[in-house]
Formats: sequence, C-alpha cells, structure tokens
Amino acid sequence: MSNPLSYPELAALLQARAGVTVAPGELEQPGAQFDEFGVDSLGLLGIVGELENRHGFKVTTGAESAKTPAEFLELVNSSLVTKAGA
Amino acid sequence: MTSRQQGHRAVVTGLGVVAPNGVGADAFWKATRQGVSVLDRISREGCTELPLKVAGEVRGFEPKSAIDSRFLVQTDRFTHYAMAAADLAVADAGFQPDPEQPFAVGVVTAAGSGGGEFGQRELQQLWGQGPKFVGPYQSIAWFYAASTGQISIRGGYKGPCGVVASDEAGGLDALAHAARSIGRGTDAVVVGAAEAPLAPYSMVCQLGYPELSLAELPEAAYLPFTAQACGFAPAEGGAMLLLEDERAARRRGANVRAQLAGHGSTFTGASRWEESREGLAAAIRIALDEARIAPEEIDVVFADALGVPAADRAEVLALADVLGPAAESVPVTAPKSGTGRAYCGAPMLDVAAAVLAMEDGVLPPTPNVTEVCHDLSLVTDRARPAELRTALVLSRGLMGSNSALVLRRGEQP
Repeated sequence: MSNPLSYPELAALLQARAGVTVAPGELEQPGAQFDEFGVDSLGLLGIVGELENRHGFKVTTGAESAKTPAEFLELVNSSLVTKAGA
Repeated sequence: MTSRQQGHRAVVTGLGVVAPNGVGADAFWKATRQGVSVLDRISREGCTELPLKVAGEVRGFEPKSAIDSRFLVQTDRFTHYAMAAADLAVADAGFQPDPEQPFAVGVVTAAGSGGGEFGQRELQQLWGQGPKFVGPYQSIAWFYAASTGQISIRGGYKGPCGVVASDEAGGLDALAHAARSIGRGTDAVVVGAAEAPLAPYSMVCQLGYPELSLAELPEAAYLPFTAQACGFAPAEGGAMLLLEDERAARRRGANVRAQLAGHGSTFTGASRWEESREGLAAAIRIALDEARIAPEEIDVVFADALGVPAADRAEVLALADVLGPAAESVPVTAPKSGTGRAYCGAPMLDVAAAVLAMEDGVLPPTPNVTEVCHDLSLVTDRARPAELRTALVLSRGLMGSNSALVLRRGEQP
C-alpha cells in the first residue's frame, strides 16, 4: 500500500475527530501513550471510522484499543498492507 | 434540606449562570433586576422557517473559549452550557476540590431533551451516507446524562452522580436529589440544569406542545398572568450551583449564600392544567412542611408562570389554597417572561435569581407584563426593594410534574 498512516496524519485526525492538539513529534516519542494526550478509545474509534471511509478498507478490529500511537499506526498500516496484498 | 438523622444542611455557595440575558451571575442579575427582555426572533441556522418564531437565545457565548476542544467534539450545546455553568459555579464558590478526596464531590443535572443538535447532525450522516459515517460520540452526546458525565469526568468529581428526568420541574428535583446526597454525607454537589432546544429537530419536537407560543412579536409572545397570555416562549441555557454541606462550607470559610430549606414534588398528568392546582398546592405544602415554616413567612414567590390561561389560573389558585389571605399580598415575580423558559434550566435560573434577590434585597420584575388579570401581587414594571429572607420557587412541566422549593437566605455564622 502506497499511503500508510503517518504521524502527521494521525495528529491531524486527532485534532479533527478527538479535539486533541498534539504535535506529530510528540506522538512519535518512544513510550508515548494515548492517555497522556487525553485520547480515549471512542476518539480512536472515530479515527478508525474516518480512515475506513476515506480509504475503503477495514482496519483490524481492536485498533481502537491501542495504548500507544506506535501500536495504532502498526495496526492500521498492517490492515492496509493486508488489503493491498489481498 | 436537613437530614434529620445527621443534621447535614445543604447550602448554596456558588452560582453559575448561562442565560439568554447574561453569562455569569453578575450579568444575569443586572439584566434580571432591570427587567430587560431579551426575547427575540430565532436566528439560528435552519430554524428561521419554522412556525416557532420567538425564543430566548443565549448569545455572546463562545463554546471554544469556555471548553477544551477535547470535550467540545464529544458534546452537544446543552452540555457546553452545563459545563461552562459548572465552572462558573465552582469558581464563584471559591471551591478547590481536594484531589485526595474525589468521592467528596458529586454531580446532579436535570435534562428535558438531551443533545438534539448533535443527534440531528449524526442522524443526517446515517441516512445521508450510512452507518459508518456516524461518529462514536453520538453514543453519549445526545443522551440526557451527558452533562452529568462530562462534568464529573472533567472535574474529577467521583462522588454520587445522577440525572433527573422529571420534566421541566426536574430542575428543582435535581436540587432535592443533591441535597439528599449531602444528607448522606457528601461534602459538595455540582447541581443544576441547562438546555439547548433551539435547533431544527428540537424545535420541530416542540411544535407538538399546545402550550407553545407561536406569536411573532417578541414583546407579545410570552405574557403570563395577562388577558393576552398565548403560551410560552422557549429558551436555552440554565444554571448550575455548588451545593455544600453547611459544616463543610463553613469549615473552608465559604460564603453561605442560601439554604435549601424544603422541597415537594407531585404529578398530575400532561397538560392537565386545572388538576395542576391541586398538585402544585400539595408540592408547596410538602416543601413548607419540610422547611418548617408557615405560609406567611414566604417573602417572595418565583412563579412557574406558564402563560397559558388555564395554567396561570391554576397557579394563582394553588397559591391561594396554601397561603390563604397572604396569597394576595405576597410579592410574586416571573423574570422568565423576559428570557423564555429554558425547560429544566428555567427553574434553575429562578433559583439563581432568588438567591441573588435575597442577597440584594430586591424583587426583580416580570418583563413585558403590565396588566395582570388575576388576584396576584405580581411585580411588574421595575424592581422593588424588599427584605427577603425566604423565597418559594415553583415549576411545572408540560408532562405533569409540579415542584416547589423553599430557599432561606444565608446567615453569617
């Protein structure tokens, strides 16, 4: 898949869907946790929905429960790869 | 009110107001004292082509400056008002919650309709684009309980929380519910109600109420206790209070503004206004009994003042039934004729006005009303000075709830 989710895109989605302002660099810090930024699973669920609607693919179930941005990116991008490979 | 076993008295220490005539208790009271009418043509997008023309809109309130964007995206306007009013009440009380005692503070709100504007937007997504386009916050934002939940989460208030859905009178019932929490040992409760019924879907729902005024002129839309009474104009906004256990409040040196002395609530059925006479009278008697005061000790009545002839008559008769000869001389006021009725928020605004009236020694007037067609000493035209120690606040809902609340002026220790 040519367009995996990046930290800047995740930051933009967090702003739009969860009302959370956070710099891409902060999301990328090793050990960064969603709850430190005030992002909960409903917020992530909204982002999952937005990504699915935008790209027409299914994000792996459970991505909305990711505890860290790194984990979330991994789950979303591997879903994209699965779709591209299918 | 007092829990008779333990002697916990519930007192008001902070007022937070988001009203059509002012945001903040000071602005609200200044406009209320002056009897300013802010009823106006409804200006909201999508709302101007409906048969309901006149209401009290909260203008000059900027949600983005009052509430963190993280909470804004997940809440409806009715919760924005409630959260902002809660912040104002806590600040007004000078209250600093102890982070070590999260269970000492609770939250109670009342709501009549929930988040109609948010819900409409998401339902339009549902039928316009499909279920995948409905955001997850729809699951919580529209719900009656949203304001209590968000105030609790944001403030870290983990004490007893609740939501009262008992019609417009629920505003007063929420206060009674909070007072019972305090009676059982909770130090403080953030309590009140705010509503946002001025959105297209919400307005269409209200068109089914025969009591709604469809008048087109703001100054003629809501004229309770007059021969021209033609129903009520709705409003948005409301008030939150900080209610505290009196001993906890005095311990921290808080200013005790008023005491919740008694409350009564009855039910007489939807739009059965003649029957509301008996129901309202019973609610007043229960409230007076709990407050242990005689009818003649009431210094001012904040009337429900629905603006429907049969309902106005029933309220006047209920007051006469309970207060006896005192009913003709006790001053009665209805400041909501200048703002409209904010459903559950309406009696909360009256409670805020009653606390401020007792502090200030002033009876606020009933805007737009000049000639009263009932045996009632209605305060019209302008504010009047008066020594006020005890206030009676009345509220009825369109679905048949009748409630009465007795407030006593705060005393310095």
